[in-house]
Amino acid sequence: MKAEKINPKDISRPSEQMVELNPADFMKLPYPYDKGEDEPAFKRLKEDQKKKYETSLDGVLAVGIPRPATKGEEDELVRKFLSGLEKLLTKENNWTFLQPLTLSLEYCAKCQTCNDACPIYISSGKKDIYRPTYRSEVLRMIANKYLKKSGKLLAKFTGNDIELNWTTVAKLAELAYRCTLCRRCAQTCPIGVDNGLITHELRKIFSQEMGIAPGEIHTLGSVQHLKKGSSTGLMPVALKDTLEFLEDDIKERTGLDIKFPLDKEGADILLIHNAGEYLSWPENPMAFAIIFEAAGLNWTLSTDLLGYDAVNYGLWYDDVQFARVAVRHAQIAKKLGVKKIVIGECGHAHKAISVIADRIINEEINIPRESSMTLLEDLVCSGKLNLDPKKNAFPVTLHDPCNMVRLMGVVEPQRKIIRKICPQFREMEPHGVRNYCCGGGSGFAIMSSMNFPNWRSSVSGRMKFKQILEAFQDVIDPSIKKMVCAPCSNCKGALREIFNYYNAWEKCGISYTGLVELIVNAMVDIKEPYIEWPIM
Amino acid sequence: MLLQLLSYLALVVFAVGILTRVVKYLRMPLHVRWELYPIPHEKGREYGGSYFEEVNWWEKPKEKSFIGQIKFMVPEILFVRGLYHDNRKLWWASFPFHFGIYLVIGWLVLLLIGAILNIAGLSPESAPATFLQSFAVIFGAVGFVLGVAGCIGLLMFRIFDSDLRSFAAPKDYFNLVFILSIFLTGLIAWSSSDPSFIIFRDYIKGVITFSPVTIESSLVLAHIILLSLFLMYLPFTHMTHFFAKYFMWDKVRWDDERNLRGSAMEAKVKQVLNYRQNWSAPHIKPGKTWAETATEEVE
Ligand code: SF4
Ligand code: SF4
Repeated sequence: MKAEKINPKDISRPSEQMVELNPADFMKLPYPYDKGEDEPAFKRLKEDQKKKYETSLDGVLAVGIPRPATKGEEDELVRKFLSGLEKLLTKENNWTFLQPLTLSLEYCAKCQTCNDACPIYISSGKKDIYRPTYRSEVLRMIANKYLKKSGKLLAKFTGNDIELNWTTVAKLAELAYRCTLCRRCAQTCPIGVDNGLITHELRKIFSQEMGIAPGEIHTLGSVQHLKKGSSTGLMPVALKDTLEFLEDDIKERTGLDIKFPLDKEGADILLIHNAGEYLSWPENPMAFAIIFEAAGLNWTLSTDLLGYDAVNYGLWYDDVQFARVAVRHAQIAKKLGVKKIVIGECGHAHKAISVIADRIINEEINIPRESSMTLLEDLVCSGKLNLDPKKNAFPVTLHDPCNMVRLMGVVEPQRKIIRKICPQFREMEPHGVRNYCCGGGSGFAIMSSMNFPNWRSSVSGRMKFKQILEAFQDVIDPSIKKMVCAPCSNCKGALREIFNYYNAWEKCGISYTGLVELIVNAMVDIKEPYIEWPIM
Repeated sequence: MLLQLLSYLALVVFAVGILTRVVKYLRMPLHVRWELYPIPHEKGREYGGSYFEEVNWWEKPKEKSFIGQIKFMVPEILFVRGLYHDNRKLWWASFPFHFGIYLVIGWLVLLLIGAILNIAGLSPESAPATFLQSFAVIFGAVGFVLGVAGCIGLLMFRIFDSDLRSFAAPKDYFNLVFILSIFLTGLIAWSSSDPSFIIFRDYIKGVITFSPVTIESSLVLAHIILLSLFLMYLPFTHMTHFFAKYFMWDKVRWDDERNLRGSAMEAKVKQVLNYRQNWSAPHIKPGKTWAETATEEVE
């Protein structure tokens, strides 16, 4: 049982560290991890890191804010935080989310129903600071006390008597990155309050007003994306080289002569992948090319800056960066004159350009966007491809990327495909719109500073790992090769880390892949197995 | 007459308070989409799918299922279904609490109808009037009992469940005690001094006809005063979720309205893109419109 309860006001109390994370408290995993012996030790921060950065939340660093040198600096940051919060509540600065945010701030009944829906809170062994309501309540209290008329006067009665000081702001910055924005909590809220949204808005205060965000998401992420064309740093020239190399690879693996169509004006489809695929899982864009060519589609890739990287990290932390990337994507499609943009296997890119950007890319650049899941379902289920499910004779389960499923409603297409081509398919529980996040959502999959990866694999990805192990309990022996299909680059990245962390291939024979790889693996005309085990 | 004045005041404050809040939400600008599936008006996709599951979805007409929405909303509103599934233990208190409120509202409506019929000339002793009044008794009595039970249950949770207690403010206890006092005075007034709610009905009649009514029973009096005060307090609390839910669900969670070329949505988007932002992080130039900000060359 837990010791003392931590309430929202406690965040303002200066302390060395609010909670201590101990794997012994974490949610138990199923066989063969049930004894807890294979739980890697939790990496503690080094003394010099503790001196340099604000580590008072949980001893984990995602953002890593350097400690301010003077009291004056601290006060200035606090002032900026408050001015950011104020801007968040104005229509000019935040028309994008003003209504949803205001409603979520005004209506929480503090019933705590949402807590049990949160994989991070549950996985951590129910640490109070990870409750979906915790950071929301802190922000709500600050807004009510410091921005409302008579807020201070009534603070005691309304429960908003929180102290806004530097320790509060510093802890909030880290706490904003202990939630994957999966919005599972919002789904269970009887009122309709969205704690995931509040986290998202909190991140925006730090980024849009204070210039604070994890380096992997901002400087190396959206800034690099806009400047170099891809958040991976992949420049157009290098992309072309890579694609030539992949053409050779396709030839070698399948005997097929396929040329990636590049910048083809007037093509029906502009296909955009998460550029991480080219570097980490090139068999995915290759498989797309094989399928699209076999189906005779009129498609193209773009080599324009940004045109070959579908990611949009702004979705997680910054509306301005979001809008910039979304508009560039749309402009490229417009320039090529394609009929539609098809988004490759990347969940957040799906939601970014289809759902969120729908009210940003407007008028002449409003080119229709379509999920590759939908298009692939059409190709697979209409019989345009010659497929033999027996070629996928191994147990398969399907991971639902939150952005694609709960947050966009693309649920069935990928299932219809898998049911058709994977005879040993089994669902995880729960799945579909009630799924659990892979643990890598909202940027976590690419964030790798200090001991954050450790936290990601053992806390935020823990629930997913549990589900996967449960789905395969009947075939858990490592001699039986098993596959998790994750049609999303970020989810794959997160799964790769979890599986490595827990040695899942050696201990259980579990690997992961995308959806198109399974389709190509089932293609009758391709003689050699397309999937190689394990994917690391 | 003082009592009646309080009731008039309560009704006015309540109406103006609620209206102000509604107008505030209505006047908020268009926001980006932020829906959450399942969306019950998605026809034939109860598992949580959307029109994005269709190839070339923009070429197809959007079919909204009104029935789907109703099928979702009725059990949600009447029986607090979400909580039943996701937080059963709290549901045991929350359901009687909410259902008690619905019944009490029904009670008031029945009394109001009775009063109007009476003014219109129907004798209170006539068969239809007594029939109506006996319904009012059922609604009122059951409503008060459920309400009292629900309030006590919710209070117990706030006090004894450590997860709830660590977030609770004095205001939260105050609200529950306030509502409990209304249910309780109603219940005792009914059982001790006004078993067929005749006093209450006649008071409402007095309110409608602007004629003074003297109330002998101090419990009835207390109930009317508390209820009037509560009506004035309610618009300024989160308990207005009864209508805010419309915005939270219909205007956020279920808002999947698409932006098609030439649509009204397109014009609305154009308008919001012309707002001028004023953010001050280094990568943003304040003072520019969102359209400019999104398209400017970035350093
Ligand atoms: S967000 Fe919703 S579920 Fe969570 S405590 Fe608030 S009202 Fe309850
Ligand atoms: S959005 Fe997901 S991770 Fe964040 S608090 Fe809600 S359930 Fe937890």
